Formats: sequence, structure tokens, C-alpha cells
Amino acid sequence: MGSLRSFIKDVRAAKTLAEERSIVTKESARIRTKLKDDHLPQEKRRKNIHKLLYLHILGEKTHFAQVECINLIASEDFRDKRLGYLAAMILLDENQEILTLLTNMLNNDLNHPNRYVVSLALSTLGSLMSPELARDLYSDVENILAHSKDDFLVKKALQCAAKLIQRDASLVEVFHSYISSRLVSNQPSSHGVLLGVAKLCQATIAAKEMYEYDNYPEILQSMIQSVPEFFALLQDMNSTNFNPEHDVAGTCDPFLQVELLYTIRLLFELAPHETESYKDKLNDLLTKIATNSDGTKNSAHAVLYECVRTIFALQLDQSLKVLGVNVLAKFLSGKDNNTKYVALNTLLHVVPQEPQAVQKHRKFISKCLFDPDISIKTRAVELTFAILNNSNIKELIEELIAFLKLTSEDEKDLVAYVVEHIIGLFEQYKLGNEKWALEATVNMLMIVGEHISLEKLSDILIMINNAQDLNHKVQIIRRILDISFAKSEESVSSANVGWKLVSAWCVGEYGDTLLENNIYLDTELTEYLRTLDGLYSDDYRITGYVLTAALKLSSRLQNPSCIEELRQIIKGHTKDTNLMIQTKSVQYAILFNLPAKEKHDILGAMPLFEKKAKNGVPAAGSKPEVKRQEPDLLLELLDDDYPKKNTASNTAGSLLDIFGSAPQGPAETENGKDSESLGPSQNSVTIPEDALEAFQSTDLDVHMKLKSIDDYEAHVEMFIHANASINSLQVLAAVSKSKKLTLGNLSATTLAPGENCCQEMKITGGGKPKLRIKLTFNTGSPSITTTEQFDYKFEQKL
Amino acid sequence: MSIKFVICLNKQGALRLIRLFEPFPGDANSSQSTIAQIYKLISSRDHRHQSNFVEFSDSTKLVYKRYAGLYFVMGVGLQDEELIYLSHIHLLVEVLDAFFGNVCELDIVFNFHKAYMILDELIIGGEIQETSKDVILERVNHLDRLS
Repeated sequence: MGSLRSFIKDVRAAKTLAEERSIVTKESARIRTKLKDDHLPQEKRRKNIHKLLYLHILGEKTHFAQVECINLIASEDFRDKRLGYLAAMILLDENQEILTLLTNMLNNDLNHPNRYVVSLALSTLGSLMSPELARDLYSDVENILAHSKDDFLVKKALQCAAKLIQRDASLVEVFHSYISSRLVSNQPSSHGVLLGVAKLCQATIAAKEMYEYDNYPEILQSMIQSVPEFFALLQDMNSTNFNPEHDVAGTCDPFLQVELLYTIRLLFELAPHETESYKDKLNDLLTKIATNSDGTKNSAHAVLYECVRTIFALQLDQSLKVLGVNVLAKFLSGKDNNTKYVALNTLLHVVPQEPQAVQKHRKFISKCLFDPDISIKTRAVELTFAILNNSNIKELIEELIAFLKLTSEDEKDLVAYVVEHIIGLFEQYKLGNEKWALEATVNMLMIVGEHISLEKLSDILIMINNAQDLNHKVQIIRRILDISFAKSEESVSSANVGWKLVSAWCVGEYGDTLLENNIYLDTELTEYLRTLDGLYSDDYRITGYVLTAALKLSSRLQNPSCIEELRQIIKGHTKDTNLMIQTKSVQYAILFNLPAKEKHDILGAMPLFEKKAKNGVPAAGSKPEVKRQEPDLLLELLDDDYPKKNTASNTAGSLLDIFGSAPQGPAETENGKDSESLGPSQNSVTIPEDALEAFQSTDLDVHMKLKSIDDYEAHVEMFIHANASINSLQVLAAVSKSKKLTLGNLSATTLAPGENCCQEMKITGGGKPKLRIKLTFNTGSPSITTTEQFDYKFEQKL
Repeated sequence: MSIKFVICLNKQGALRLIRLFEPFPGDANSSQSTIAQIYKLISSRDHRHQSNFVEFSDSTKLVYKRYAGLYFVMGVGLQDEELIYLSHIHLLVEVLDAFFGNVCELDIVFNFHKAYMILDELIIGGEIQETSKDVILERVNHLDRLS
């Protein structure tokens, strides 16, 4: 059996993965057998454990050697002990029961005369601190702190003490005194020891809530008395003549500085009142550090960054906050992406506190929009929106549009985020400058129209529709159509679906205005729709808009040949494979042939549209308006996203009949309700209006309603509406593994046609509730058993 | 503020050193796939034009740096100070470099136990314990002669 070296060489020399596997498996088996041999010389034992650790790096199973490393630790040979402790640290973790076997050995070795052995034991204890080990060994650690003069051991013991407190808060009592005693000892402590002191201090602060005895105020007081010591240390490290031993690229021990700053921050946060008297000194110190360190290296930045974090976490003076923002701005202006990343991250948190100071550095933020690193770009975008206000909205949106121009295909999410926010902003800030907002929107549409969702596109349409100044409106429509008809120098790509939708809508909606002003010929408009129809026949979104535009345009022009052409467009889709388009086309064909007067009334110009609900679904409040004004119904026709069509009103007879026949409208629900109230049935379940359609078949319809939803629990009602006579109805439901489902009662298992029943469900867990429902029931006589299955997902999150 | 793990991978994604100060989330068998995910994440990043920090899970952020053909990766908390951990990595690499004398991947492959020994003088239980390169070097050179 070869050495560790030759084993590693063999593994590396393997030419195929299979060969490597076979070498590894063989060796692993050999090690297993060897280790079982009680008479194996120690030398060989160590070699095997070395190999085993290499196997661990290769990702092999190594659990069989756990006891072996404990045996090695028990040996008196330093080489055995060293390897045994190393193997224990690597192979074991805090949750393993085998750790109890370590207790005695650690206890012995922590009191060992050889300081290297003590050091090994401390390192291991620091890594594998189970609550049991903490309880059994804390006195040994304290013993070292109390008596040892060896810095190597003291620094490790301090770190262990911090870990001990993390495991068992009551040990604060034992260890807290070493914070001050180490700080004010006669000889200056080494930086390693100071790091340990800082850690012990942090652990003591964190243990406050868990600490059970009532002397915590005194402990806190003694820590606060150490604040001047911490200040002095930081002062020294920031003076010009610090000890070169700790120099890291021009900064004195950034590690210790960061730890000390962090400790001070925690202390001030914990005891704002008691530390008040030191606040001025802290201000001076932070000002000094922030202004003095002008290093360009990472080490200097790390200290500066921790300073800034301290300033904002403690809400220090205004002047310091401004200084902090300036430091971050300097980070942003540099070339280092790491500092840009942390600066943007911090600024995002700082903006609400210091909007003015952040504003001043706008140009650096804007520059980051064009950074090649996506994570920096994303944060710069977020920050740009965060600093946006009435006075700078124009400039910033122009920056963002410039940013959109340079985005690539794989940044779709970011683009959608930007567009959505910009459109939201236009709605939120009632801009004085409408023309500019329209222009900006059109620019945006031109650049990234293909990434804009239908919902946001309809927001854009509303914006155009609601434009106050007719001149602006005509100008902007003219610009859109000039570009679409290739009459302008600008052009948009054929993939820009959003653009095509908007332009088709403009042709239909504003055909009359455009023709009256002689801007375009009627043949041009017709031709454009026809081309769109031809080019995008496989895109149902565009086809839907083209159909509507064709219908509308037909009532706005006189030329018989154009009208015929428009009729052909609509007629061309009456046999469309897409059901929605087909329905639309058939309905429109009927509308098309109505007498001119009636048709003109129905297809009149859109009124001012008031958007009530944020998600684009007309809110309940807008319904009465829909009923009163016929033309508003067209809005729903225009947008396929509107899930519900309110057809309950009986104002426009013929038009409503068409709607009523639409397969997806809730008309059936209404019918169902009617027949139910007429029928003799005792079944009193009614489907609420806000229940959403989940499933349909010839025998039954299913609606879902989310009754309530909170952090982890959702109550759902499922309504089953029978279209035929149903009996022995059974409901089976399932949810994904991460959730739990409780089925309530089913209100009825036998339903006559038109009757409803209700099934209650409770879902607990996280994420969007998703259900798989299976319905089994008998119909007709002789009865046939039918099984229906479907999935349903709620939009709301738990 | 505490390091959750230190790993060292080569450019092909082969693991060279691994030290967990708290167990990876999930069961022990998934650690290989966790490492594969880490490798996928950092190797796809442009090391000149992108920052050295990347969010890895909802509790862990990676601070990493590539030195020649080796990635050194530390897993830290989301709120931790990224820049100082980058200095930690640099200090570790400096000590390795001085100890082995112009360290290369093979030094670490064949002497992984010595690399672990250095790591143990630099970090204890996920906390940095010594910041002076000279102190660490003197110590590890002495420890190395003890065998």
C-alpha cells in the first residue's frame, strides 16, 4: 500500500471518471480494513487517516473513521494528536453524539503541559462547540484565560469563550471580566488577543436577552467603561506612525479596526442612553477615520465602509451622515466593482434618511446604470427610482430610457421592472408636461415594446386616451403611425409586439380624427391593418387588437372598398383555431352588419377612462359606470386580460346577447343562480360573484373563492355547479408537499341540474396555494361514473 | 459576523479544500450538489467586470476571489461586511503563498493537511483569530517542523 502522495498521484492520473472511481473505491475499502486492524503501527494509521481526509475532499463517505480520529487524539504522540484533531474538525460536526467521547480528551488536553497540545484542543473546541461540551469544558477555558501568559493560547481561549457564551448565555457571568482585564493589562495586548476581546464583547452583548441573572446592568456598565480603550486603539491605528507589522496595503490592521467598530456599534445600539457621554468622541473618531483614510486599496475601503455602516446604524449627526454619503459616492465613482456594489447596497438603505445628500451624487448613480455587472445595474436602477422626485423626474427618466436602449435580451426582467415603474410614475405624478410624458412613453415603447406586458400596454393606451390636450394627442398618434407606416427616419423592429398593438389600436380608435385632418388616406390605414393581420396571424394578441381596430375603423370611414377589406379581415378569423379569436371574430361580424347608426353608437370614441384598481382589473367601483355608458363595454372587448365581463345589466340588448353567449363569461353562473332560486330545491348554496372560474365540463362548473388568506393559512371555498343531475359526488384534493391541506365538509353530494354545493378547504404553508382537484360522480340512469381532474392556482401568496 | 464555510475550487470546479464552520443546509449528502451550485454561480461570473460578491441563498452570501486557477470562496451572512472578508481571503492566500513559496494548485493538492493547518491558525470556529501575516507564518513554520 503506497503513500498518500502516490495515492493522490494515482487518482490524478486516472484517465476516465470510471477509472478514478475504481481507484477511489478500492482505496476506501482498503483503508476501512486497515483501520480495523488493532495492531496497525501508528505511522500507518496516520497515513490512512491522511488518505481518508483526501477522500473527504473528493466527496467520499468517511463516517467509518470517526471513532478512529478519536483514538488518534487519545495517543500521547503529538503527530497523532494533531492529525486526530484535524480529522475531528473536518469529519465531525456539532450535532453528532460521538462528540461526547471527545469531552474527556479535550479536558485533558486543555490542561496539558505542552502549549501546542493546548492550542490544538482550543482550536477544536472553537470549531465543535456543542452545548454539552460548553457545559463540561468552560472551566478549563477560564483556567487558561486566568493563568496563561501565552498570547497564542489567550487569543484562542478568548474566541472559545465567545463561542461558549453563544452556546450558553449564563457563562457571561464567568467570562465578562476578561474583557476589561485584557484591555487594561500592563503590557499592550497583541492584535490577536484584541480580536478575541472584541469577539467576547460582541458575544456578551448578543447574550443579553438570554442572560437570566440580574447583574447584567453592571456587566454592561463595565463594557461601556472599556469604550475609551476601544477609541484609543482605533486612534492609534489611524495615526500616521502605526506599527508596520500590521500594515495591510497601507492600512493598519483593517481586520481589527472593523471588529472594533462593529463592537462599538453594538454597544451604542444596546445602550444608547449610557453611551451618550461618549457620542461626541465617537463622532470625532469616525470623522477622523472617514476623512483620513484615502487609500485606494480594499483594506482601506473595508474600514471606511464599516465607518459608514456605523454612522447610519447609529443615526449619528447630520454632518456625519453627509460625510458617510460622500464616502459612498466616492466608492461609486471609482473603478472597483466591489465598492460600487457595497455603496449601492448601502445607499438604498440610506436614501430615506438622507434624500438630499444622496441626490447630489446622482451622476455617479446614473453612471452605474451602464455598468457591465448586472447586479450593479439592478441596484443602480432601484436607487434611481428611490431618489426620484418631482424636480428630477424628467432627467432621471431620460437616463432610464437611455439605459433601456442598451439593455440586452437576457435582461428582460430588469427591463420589465423599469417599464412598469416608469408607467406607474407617470400615473402617480400628475405631470404638468403631458406632451413630454407621452413622448417618453412612446420612446420607451419603441425601444423595448416587446418586453412590456399586456397589462402595462393597456396602461399606455389609457394614457394616450386620457391625454388632455387634443393637439398633443394627435401629434403623438401621428408620430406612432408615421413610424409604423415607415414614413419616419425612426423604425421599430418587427419583433416589437407591444408597438404593433398600440399602433393598431390608434388606427382603430382615432381613424376619424386622422382622416378629418387629412393626415393619412383611408387606404393607408386599412392597408396597415391588413399587413399586420397577415404578418402576425399566429400572434393572438395582435390579431385580437387588429380585429377590434378593423371593426372600429369600419364605422369611421366611407370608402366602400376599404370597408369591404376590413370586413374580410374580420371574416378571415371566424374559423380561427384559437377559440378566443374565433369568438371575437364571429361577434364582430355580427356587429359589423348592424345599421350604421346603431353601429356608430356602439363603436363611438372611448370616454375618459379612470383606472381604479392597480392590477388592471376594473374594480367593483367602476361597474356602475360600465352599466350606464355603453361604449365603455368596448374597453373590455379591447383587452383580453379582463377576466370578467359584467353582463348582468340589460341596457344594450343585442350587444349583450353576444356577450352572453361568450363561453367564458360568468353568464352561466348567473343563469344557474336564477334557476336555483326558481327551483324547488332546499339547497341554498349560491356562488358569490367574486368566485373565480376554475373548471368547466358538460356536467359541472367549478368556481373557487379565497375566503381569507394570511401569513400561513388560507381558507378556500370551492363551488360546484351542476349542469346535469349528479349524485355520489366525491371531492379529492391535493396540494404540493410544502403545504398541508384540510378538507372540510361537502355541503351536498347529490345535485339536480342548476344546483350548487360548496366544499371548504384549509391550506397551510408558504407560497402560492396550488390545488389539484379530482371529482368523481355519477350521472344519468343507468348511472355512469365520471372522473374529472384539474389544477388550480391562486395568485395570492401565503 | 462569522464565516460559515471556506472552500477552494479549481477552475474546473474540482474541490481542493473544504472547511465547514456550520453544516451546509440540507442533509450531509447534498453537500456535493451545494458545492456544484457554488461553482456554477461563481464560474459564470466575469471576474474582471463583476464584483466579488454574490448572493447564494436567502441566508448566505458568497465572497470569493480567483487567484490564477483557484477560486477561494467564503460563505458569510447577508448583513456581513463583504469587503473585510475579501481581505481575509487575501490574507489566507498571502500566507499560503509565503509558506509554500509561490504556491500553486499542486502544492495544495498534495499538502492539503498543511493548508488546513494554516487555515486553523488564521480562523477559529468561523472567526478570524490572527491578522498578522508574520505571526501566522512564524507559527505554522514552527508547527510544520514539529513532525
